[in-house]
Amino acid sequence: MFGKGLITGMGITIRHFFGKKATFCYPEEKLTMTEHFRGGHLTIDYKKCIACQLCAIQCPNQAIKLKVVTDANRKRHLESYVHSMGRCLYCDLCIEGCAPHALSWDKDYEISTWHKEDLVHQVMTDEDRSYLAEVMTQAAANPTPPPVPKAAPKPAAAAPPAAKPADTEVKPRE
Amino acid sequence: MNAMLENGIVVTVAGVLREYLMLLFGNQFLTDLIMKFIGLGALIGVILTAAIVFTYAERKVCALIQVRLGPNRVGGRFGLLQPFADMLKLMSKEDIIPAGCDRVVWALSPMLLFVPSALAYAFFPFDKGAVFADVNVGIFLLIAISSQAVLPFLMGGYASNSKYAMIGGMRTVAQMLSYEAPMVFSLLGIVMLTGSLKMSDIVAVQADNVWFVLLQPVAFVIFVITATAETNRTPFDLVEGESEIVAGAFSEYSGMRWALFFLAEYANLLAVSILTTTFFLGGWSGPVLPGVVWFGLKAVFMVFVFMWLRWTFPRTRIDQMLSLSWKVLLPLALVNVMCTGIGIYIYRLL
Repeated sequence: MFGKGLITGMGITIRHFFGKKATFCYPEEKLTMTEHFRGGHLTIDYKKCIACQLCAIQCPNQAIKLKVVTDANRKRHLESYVHSMGRCLYCDLCIEGCAPHALSWDKDYEISTWHKEDLVHQVMTDEDRSYLAEVMTQAAANPTPPPVPKAAPKPAAAAPPAAKPADTEVKPRE
Repeated sequence: MNAMLENGIVVTVAGVLREYLMLLFGNQFLTDLIMKFIGLGALIGVILTAAIVFTYAERKVCALIQVRLGPNRVGGRFGLLQPFADMLKLMSKEDIIPAGCDRVVWALSPMLLFVPSALAYAFFPFDKGAVFADVNVGIFLLIAISSQAVLPFLMGGYASNSKYAMIGGMRTVAQMLSYEAPMVFSLLGIVMLTGSLKMSDIVAVQADNVWFVLLQPVAFVIFVITATAETNRTPFDLVEGESEIVAGAFSEYSGMRWALFFLAEYANLLAVSILTTTFFLGGWSGPVLPGVVWFGLKAVFMVFVFMWLRWTFPRTRIDQMLSLSWKVLLPLALVNVMCTGIGIYIYRLL
């Protein structure tokens, strides 16, 4: 029938007219980013982190600078974790490489800054630092005697196996 | 109250005002003169209000159809002050006069364009008895006046010294002239049914019987299509097709002069909506509510329909548009006139 397409078109537009709108009034309403959105600040679940430094090693732009301390139990902890957002290309390699899945994006897209100095992001929070201090003092107060498992395998490969069981023990507890 | 229902609100108010003025001046001529000026002021008020409201409505309708929200910043959640912001912007803009233009004609064009669109409002029956000039050749005069709008467009296009404006002006002439023919023929059926060219008679007949949209559905469709073309709105906005000729005849205008073109456009939009209401939707007739309210509701509905059409359809090509007018609409309108004639003849035989 001649003109049928016109009526169909008008039907579509009137449905759009009364239907739900796609616009978000940005500052008031904010879109939630999708699951695989790469962007925003790096966040770290400090208690999961095993300070393996894989994220920093994998980073193609060396955007991640971290310092590691070893406590009295010879367990490694992060001391500081700096993410230079200006250098980051948001390739997601650090997060994919993270063995205990401790790293993630906070998916905040309002990360533009006035000064390039502000692009340096301290990933560790004050809470993480106080936790670190707590762990360090605890470990110093009652060090578990490590020499028994360490004495048996003599070679250099001894250290990682010692660290790993300690890590896998931590995980189920959480 | 009874008299109010009999005559309609507008006439009652006017009557009260006239009596008051008679008491004040005691002079018949002076009172008539003042009443005429009040009527004029009311018409201009209607046009200006329509222009303000429709700029907002057009943005909003456009946005809603395109799954957007439209103005929502200026003046609260719904952006109600947007037309005033637009107006401020237009008023504060520079008035650019193109080099090498025909100054007088160029300056006259936007002002002249507003005249026929405003003049047409004199013949609209807003309510029972509320017609500024209820002439007995209403439709004829109305069409004669509204077709004058072609000339200012051509003037503007010619005087701008720009190829786009010139093409736009020429297109206006081609489009408006070729769409006037089917428009007039589509109205002929109504004139045959009423037996009068008077606008108030046409509405009175519909108020007593049925709306003409039921008796003349083909004419209604033809009229809506031609009205869209006459107002240069989108399926037929070749006159100002942005992608081809910038803005047609008013490419070179800026600021308030450009705003006058827009004012005329929205005045025309309301005018064709009112015409559709008057000819096909029974004008002010309707139950319960007063006549003016019915009239307003129908007119606003038609405005919405025109906006709906505009934001649904893409622009046609100039040859498609002209062939639609001459090869489809005009024969259809003629056939409609013939069928109406036969129908009336059979009706009289019964």
